[in-house]
Amino acid sequence: MNLILRNRNMERDPLEELERAQRELSRFFDFGLDNAGLFDRMLAPAADFLENEEGYELFVDLPGVDRKDLELTVENGALTVKGEKKETKEDKRFFRKETWSGSFRRTVPLPQAADVEKVVAELKDGVLTVRIGKREELKPRQITVAAR
Amino acid sequence: MNDIENKAEAKTPVVQPACSICDEDGKVRLRVEMPGVDKDGLEISIEKNELTIAGKPLRSEGQGTWLLRERNRGDYRKRFIIDESIDRDTIDAVLVDGVLTLTLATKEAAKPRKIEIR
Repeated sequence: MNLILRNRNMERDPLEELERAQRELSRFFDFGLDNAGLFDRMLAPAADFLENEEGYELFVDLPGVDRKDLELTVENGALTVKGEKKETKEDKRFFRKETWSGSFRRTVPLPQAADVEKVVAELKDGVLTVRIGKREELKPRQITVAAR
Repeated sequence: MNDIENKAEAKTPVVQPACSICDEDGKVRLRVEMPGVDKDGLEISIEKNELTIAGKPLRSEGQGTWLLRERNRGDYRKRFIIDESIDRDTIDAVLVDGVLTLTLATKEAAKPRKIEIR
């Protein structure tokens, strides 16, 4: 027998309540940074960044994120991935919740050799892949030593 | 199944994917996040009362120097013990954008019944 009497209709997700309170507070303490309020929970998804001779590859885990909710920008030598992971509406009563939803942002500083004109991005199976080329003049080169 | 298991145990580490379970109109809905896994790399099996989800993410990265390495590098694997009341024949699985949604329905016989008073 339960010690605490539970009423289904009164049952509320405590996390949701907390988020709602955070939203209210964020609105109150709006500092003007685009939707980064004081108590905003900005999630940063896991990323891999690889460098090779030809260029750079960035992989970001974004399961369940729609293409149209994703925004990629290059500014001041940094690449920013931001967007929103939407929660499906029909989810009601959770027995377990390990997945997250909400807005996220990830900024990766680009090395000097990265060519921002050559950026190709693809979202597939919940993984965002961004390929960035290297500037020709900054690619590693071999210097031959002349024998005399 | 055995193939995937053996390979996973021999080489790559195995991680448990993030998972949410919720109740939806009497059905149990599982949402498992496995970024990088496509339809061919996913195996779902039921053995007696054990539901196993195994996913092998596609690796497209080349060789080079890692400047950041935070993503999971293993294969996904999660096991659940399911109740007798779950109907094994009507399990529905959908994989979209690296998120697997499994819908488990309860057997008709296990559903709550209303007894009419005459």
